[in-house]
Amino acid sequence: MNRPLIAFAFVAPALVFLAATLAWPLVSAFLLSLQNVRSVGTTGTWVGLENYQYILANAAFWRSTGLSFGWVIANAALQTLLALLAALILHQKFPGVRVARTWIILTWIVPTVVVVMIWRWLFSTSGGMINPILLQLGIIDRPVGFFATPESAFATLVFINSWRWFPFIALMMLAGMSRIPSDLYEAARIDGAGAFKRFTRITWPLLAPTLTVLLIVGTLLSFNVFDVIWLMTQGGPAGGTRTLPVLIYETAFRSYRMSEAATIAVLATALLMSFAVLATRYLARSGDER
Amino acid sequence: MRRPLRWSIALAAGLLVLAALIGLPFWWVVSGAFKAPQEIIARVPTFFPQSFTLEHFEKLLSASDYLTYLVNSVFVSVLSALVTLVLAIPASYAFFRLTFRGRETLYRIILLAYAFPSIVVLIPLFATFARLGLVDTRLALVLVNVAFALPFAIWMLRSFFASIPREIEEAARLDGGAPLTVLLRIMIPLTAPGIAAVAIFAFVTSWTEYVFASVMILSDAKRTIPVGFSGIIGQYQVDWGLLLAGASLAILPVVLLFALIGRWFVTGLTEGAVK
Repeated sequence: MNRPLIAFAFVAPALVFLAATLAWPLVSAFLLSLQNVRSVGTTGTWVGLENYQYILANAAFWRSTGLSFGWVIANAALQTLLALLAALILHQKFPGVRVARTWIILTWIVPTVVVVMIWRWLFSTSGGMINPILLQLGIIDRPVGFFATPESAFATLVFINSWRWFPFIALMMLAGMSRIPSDLYEAARIDGAGAFKRFTRITWPLLAPTLTVLLIVGTLLSFNVFDVIWLMTQGGPAGGTRTLPVLIYETAFRSYRMSEAATIAVLATALLMSFAVLATRYLARSGDER
Repeated sequence: MRRPLRWSIALAAGLLVLAALIGLPFWWVVSGAFKAPQEIIARVPTFFPQSFTLEHFEKLLSASDYLTYLVNSVFVSVLSALVTLVLAIPASYAFFRLTFRGRETLYRIILLAYAFPSIVVLIPLFATFARLGLVDTRLALVLVNVAFALPFAIWMLRSFFASIPREIEEAARLDGGAPLTVLLRIMIPLTAPGIAAVAIFAFVTSWTEYVFASVMILSDAKRTIPVGFSGIIGQYQVDWGLLLAGASLAILPVVLLFALIGRWFVTGLTEGAVK
C-alpha cells in the first residue's frame, strides 16, 4: 500500500477546500485590482496599475493605514497586558480555578453584535452604568458622550475589542505558563526569592517567547477586526475609526467601487504578510520552537 | 504549600476585579432584560432588579423574526462545526502522524491563512457565490465559516495527536490496520477532548460571524442572529428592554453549550497547546 498517497488523500480535502475558499479568492482580488469593476457582477476593463496609483495618492487610504497601525498597537498592548494579569491570576491554585478558567472566555463566545450592544448601552447617557459610576466616583462632573469625538470613540473601541479578546489570549498564555517547570519556583523559594523576584527572574524570561508569539497573533487578529467597529461607529465620527477593513468594506459595499476596494485589500494583505514573515523570521532567529 | 496572607488578599482582589470586568456587563444585560422599562432608564441604575417582567421577551418574539434568526444561527453553526471536523481531523492526523513530501511547506501555507485580512476574500467570494447561485443561501455561510475555522482547527488538533504515544498506533498498524482504520478506531476516540475543543471553536466562530452573513444573505428569513439582531437594534434604537432581551437570548445557547462541554475547549487551548 502506498502510504504517502494515503497521507495525501487525508490532507487533500482540507487543502482543496482552503484553495477554493481562501487562495483562489485572494488571486481574484489581485486580478480585480487590475481592472475597473464597480459593482459586483458587472465586468470591467483592464487598467494595469492605475488603481494602485490612485489609491497610493489617496489621503483617505493613508489616514486609514495610520488608524490601523494605531489600532493594532493599542489593542496588542492593552489585550496583552490584561491577558497577562488574568493569566497570572488563573495560574494560581485556588478553589474554583477550573470554573474561572472556563467562564473567563464568556466575552469571546457571544456574538460581536451583542458585545457592541452591551457596551453601547453601558456607555450610553440614558440608563448606562458607566456614566453614573464615574459621576459617583467624582472622576467626571457631567455625563460623557464616549462616541462623540474621534479620539474618545477610538479609545472606547480599543477597550471594547480588547475586552472581547483578552480572555482568549490569557488562556493561550496560561499554556505557556504551565510549561515552566514548577521545580524552578521551588528552588527559587528555597533560595529565599520573593514572589516579585520569582516573577521577574523566572516567569517573565521563560514566558517571553510565548508573549512574542501572542503579540504577533494579537496583531494579526486585531488588524482584521471589522464588525465591532462597523456595528459601533460605522467608521465615524468624522472617519476617526475608519481602519483599513472598514475602508475596504465601505468602498466595496457602500460606494460600489469593487476594484478600488480590491486594491486596498491587496495592499493591506501585502502589509500584513510582510509583517507576518518578518515576525516569524525574528522568532526563528531568536531560537524558538517553531 | 501556604501562601503568605497578603498574597492571598492580592489574589482575591485581582480575582474580584477580573470577575467584575467580565461578569458585571453580562449581569446588567441579563438582569436588565427582566426590569420594567422605567427602571431600565432610571437615572440611578439598580444593581438588583426592583421589578420583574417578561414583556420585553414577549415583544421581541412577537414583533420580530428573532426565533427564525436563532434557528438559522444554530443550523449554520452546527453544520459548520461538523464540516470543520470532517476536514480537519484527517488533515491534522496526516500532518502530524504521517510523513509525506512537502508536509512542512503545506502546513506553513495553511497557517498563512491567518495572516491576511478576511475581508479581502469577501469581494471575490461574493462574485463567485453569485455565479454559483449560492448568494442568499445558508450553505454559503457554512462554507465561509469552515474556511475561517479550519486552519486554527488543524493547528489545535496537532497537540492532541502529538500527545498519543506512537506505540499505540504502531501496534494497531502491525495488526494490519489501514491508516483510515487506525484513525477511526484508535485516534479519534483517544483525541475526543481535542475534537470537542475544535468543534466548539468552529461553532463559536460561526455563531459570532457578522461580516459575511451581512453581505451574503439578502432575505430576512435566512438571517443569522448577528445580522438579524443588528437589524432589530437599528429598528428599536432606544427600546433598551427589547434589545437587552435579544442580547440575553443570543447569549443563552453558547452559555448552555459551554456549561456542557466548555472545559474541553479550555483544556484544548491550554493543556493541549503545551506539547
